[in-house]
Amino acid sequence: MLVLLAGIFLLHITAIILLLVATIDNAWWFTDTMSTDVWARWVKINNFWNYTDLPGHYPQEYLQAVQATSVLACIFSILGLFVFVGQLFTLAKGQRFTFSGIFQLIACLCIMIAASIYTDIFHKDEKYGWYGHSFILAWIAFVLTFISTIIYFVLRKKTA
Amino acid sequence: AGGGERETEERVWPGINRKSEVPWLETVSFGGVCISLWPAAGPAEESNMLVFLALVSVALVTIAPQSQAIVIYTGWERHALVGSEVRLSCSFFSWRWTSEDVTFSWSYRPDGSRDSISIFHYTGGLPYLDNKGPFRDRLEFVGNPQRRDGSILIKNLDYSDNGTFTCDAKNPPDIVGRPSSVRLLVFDKLPVQAGVITGAIIGAVLGLLVLIVVIYYLMRFLVARRVFNLSVSKHGKKAKGKEGSQQRQPWRVPPLSFLSF
Repeated sequence: MLVLLAGIFLLHITAIILLLVATIDNAWWFTDTMSTDVWARWVKINNFWNYTDLPGHYPQEYLQAVQATSVLACIFSILGLFVFVGQLFTLAKGQRFTFSGIFQLIACLCIMIAASIYTDIFHKDEKYGWYGHSFILAWIAFVLTFISTIIYFVLRKKTA
Repeated sequence: AGGGERETEERVWPGINRKSEVPWLETVSFGGVCISLWPAAGPAEESNMLVFLALVSVALVTIAPQSQAIVIYTGWERHALVGSEVRLSCSFFSWRWTSEDVTFSWSYRPDGSRDSISIFHYTGGLPYLDNKGPFRDRLEFVGNPQRRDGSILIKNLDYSDNGTFTCDAKNPPDIVGRPSSVRLLVFDKLPVQAGVITGAIIGAVLGLLVLIVVIYYLMRFLVARRVFNLSVSKHGKKAKGKEGSQQRQPWRVPPLSFLSF
């Protein structure tokens, strides 16, 4: 049982870490000399990486929607962790961890929105380049938060 | 202000058990303000305090003239739409009172050009607007020099107005200062400023969350109170004791095996 609790905790914390990396690190799209999105762009000039602004032709509304939803996913996941710990101590016997599940669900939806918008709108016509680790971690975090949500909705508290 | 007076009043200082024998009333003046200081202890500490005050006064008197530079504030960048008007604000900070000979000067340097042209001057209590240059009939003085505000209003903007506007203010005798510049950018469609939508989405969702939590707990509180009132009116004091113990669950460290599917 302790193993189960540790596993659930670890899953949640892993999801938080992946979300944070995906949000903070500007590495959604790579080329040989560039690592970009969602906040700024790293451009390699003369073997030095320079921190520059994102190009003006980016659709601003979509970019800011990706920024906002990825930040919200992080916030809700972190809040969900505290809610889970709180519910561990205050739930009555036999009840489900719905509150924590709801927070994780919202986080899951938010990161799904962020990653979907990014996939569909940005870099669609660029042949040269590949998706970076932040992008991949965003999708993996979506899966992990989804599993976490299911677990919280199914889990019951055994003894008060 | 200045000089020292001896007063043989008896004062009891908090935290010190004996009454202070010679409380010195020492006044020091600097910058035109008189401050009186009462040392809190005996003669040895008094002389230390006097030395410190002397040093501070000397330091301030020597530094004061150098800090008397005028500091001019304008914006950093202004965005405006074609055909609209924009207010370029300029104000300054000066240690002196606002003199009657205060002057404001605006000059304009187009983007890509190295020459700047003077477009506005306020002196002797009167504003002088550009009547020959690119801004003739489009400038208006909307500042209040007595309140240190030298703002101008440019109407009917065009793309050729993109450039840097420099404000220079002088407040005699305080004339040493650095002019400040503001860049004007004219758009046909105002771009969404970085982060506005992001902030709005995050703020709205978090605000909604807080609202939902508050409403949830409020509802719970109201329902519990209603039940409490009903039971009090029905059973009197007996129910009161029961309600109190039911509402609070004893906090215990939960045993380790407490999850199940």
